[in-house]
Amino acid sequence: MALKTPEQYEESLRKMNFKIYLMGEQVKNPVDHPIIRPSMNSVKMTYTLAQDPKHEDLMTATSHLTGKKINRFCHLHQSTEDLVKKVKMQRLLGQQTGSCFQRCVGMDAINAVDSVTFEMDQKLGTQYHDRFIKFLRMMQEEDLTVDGAMTDPKGDRSLSPSQQADPDLYVHVVEKNEQGIVVRGAKAHQTGAVNSHWILVMPTMAMRKEDTDYALSFVAPADAKGITYIYGRQSCDTRKLEGVEIDVGNARFGGHEALMVFDDLFIPWEQVLMCGEHEYSGLLVERFAGYHRQSYGGCKAGVGDVLIGAAAVAADYNGAAKASHIKDKLIEMTHLNETLYACGIACSAEGHKTASGTYLINLLLANVCKQNVTRFPYEIARLAEDIAGGLMVTLASEKDLCHPKIGKMVEKYFKGVASISTEERCRILRLVENLTLGTSAVGYRTESMHGAGSPQAQRIMIARQGNLEHKKKLAKNIAGIKE
Amino acid sequence: MIGLKYCGGCNPFIDRTALVQKIEKLLPQGFKLSTDKPMIPWEKGILICGCPVACANRPEVKTLARQWVLISGPMIDFEKVPEEKMAEVVAGKIQL
Repeated sequence: MALKTPEQYEESLRKMNFKIYLMGEQVKNPVDHPIIRPSMNSVKMTYTLAQDPKHEDLMTATSHLTGKKINRFCHLHQSTEDLVKKVKMQRLLGQQTGSCFQRCVGMDAINAVDSVTFEMDQKLGTQYHDRFIKFLRMMQEEDLTVDGAMTDPKGDRSLSPSQQADPDLYVHVVEKNEQGIVVRGAKAHQTGAVNSHWILVMPTMAMRKEDTDYALSFVAPADAKGITYIYGRQSCDTRKLEGVEIDVGNARFGGHEALMVFDDLFIPWEQVLMCGEHEYSGLLVERFAGYHRQSYGGCKAGVGDVLIGAAAVAADYNGAAKASHIKDKLIEMTHLNETLYACGIACSAEGHKTASGTYLINLLLANVCKQNVTRFPYEIARLAEDIAGGLMVTLASEKDLCHPKIGKMVEKYFKGVASISTEERCRILRLVENLTLGTSAVGYRTESMHGAGSPQAQRIMIARQGNLEHKKKLAKNIAGIKE
Repeated sequence: MIGLKYCGGCNPFIDRTALVQKIEKLLPQGFKLSTDKPMIPWEKGILICGCPVACANRPEVKTLARQWVLISGPMIDFEKVPEEKMAEVVAGKIQL
């Protein structure tokens, strides 16, 4: 198969047997659930664009394992050009969906796990890399969406995994036998979890010797017996249940997160990729986080493009587009957005080969990229709200706009420039609302802050990678200080 | 003759000059390092890059020697090596 059609992707999800809870009820049909469906559409777009000759150069790659054409989300980066194309693909998808398209975590996970299992096997004589490659072949052949699952609930942050009052607050092994291992715990904030075919679980942080049971990586079918998903709420999510379109802001696309609970989940040895090798857990976290911090230089720039466009259209509809301060604010938004993208491209262009042959981004620049992402989307959102005006949060509902009696009042008094219908004005203002404080703000704002690691995590990496000693030597040389 | 090729040195994580001096001392008599462009490719070469980007690791550079030992910041042939042991590891690889 190698490339699934979007229809085949949707059908493949329908065949899965997820155990999902949303607002206190078990969801039998997630694909058609009005709250979940838009997020499925976003992932589906990764399959749609891969079929389109206009986008295949970014959306597809040639497998280094089989030589076949595959979706780039299933690819191991074989060059810095691959790393650059990844960021461009993510920008494209952000532009096409105006939301999180969820499939990056799996791509970032396979690239990190590849090089780390290779190096682990070389040093320790383990057999994890062969198992991983076997899984990767299946992933590429069946064009699977894989959820890379890293973040544990973590409980009391001042305590290590094994010191927690409840040991399940970090994912850990509770039993090992000849067939495999039994796993308990949970992964939080799992992006795209219920739109995925498989999960690739990784440790949440560098583990110490006493936390060996928590140094764990494995793959499992996303609907395996023993996995329960508790779907996360989003701001304004119930608007999707109202049977309206305009008020949702972005009715077709969205993102989602879920709590993924492992209740004595059995994993056969063939699917285990790390089990107790605590000294490699930190390396895996560092590489996955690095790739994922690179990702944000693409996807957030793409969503930023949509928000900048929405603000500009709102200014047109308000009759304010020619005001110099509006033009200047749009320039500022563009400057910030392109700075995000520039770092994504830079850390890719400065990438390097690892022992397995897979290319890794420049970790310093990837962390600088993500540090900017923790700030700039907030400023872009603030400027969008400034340009849009207060109406984006005081606007009457779509049902009032369509009401037989008061509809005419809404139409009359919410009109902007005469040539634009009130409905069109409402649509663009609702999109700004959606991106800045509605369902898509989960991805564009708070995920920008905490996704792929909170700001402090990047600052630690920047300190480690910043080569301060070299800078000191440079200064001493210029100042004429002899060592 | 052992070929020696440096990257441009904009962001070195290691002291490249000191490392090359240590390697030279560890090589047995008869082994000499050269940065001159060879008429025919060197049998072996040391490509010394200051950081993991290894920007000098390019196809046109690779044609200068038949076999390379790649130093990219703290790594030798993609494997992390403590700085104090780097010269020893490189010298060992050159003599193989």
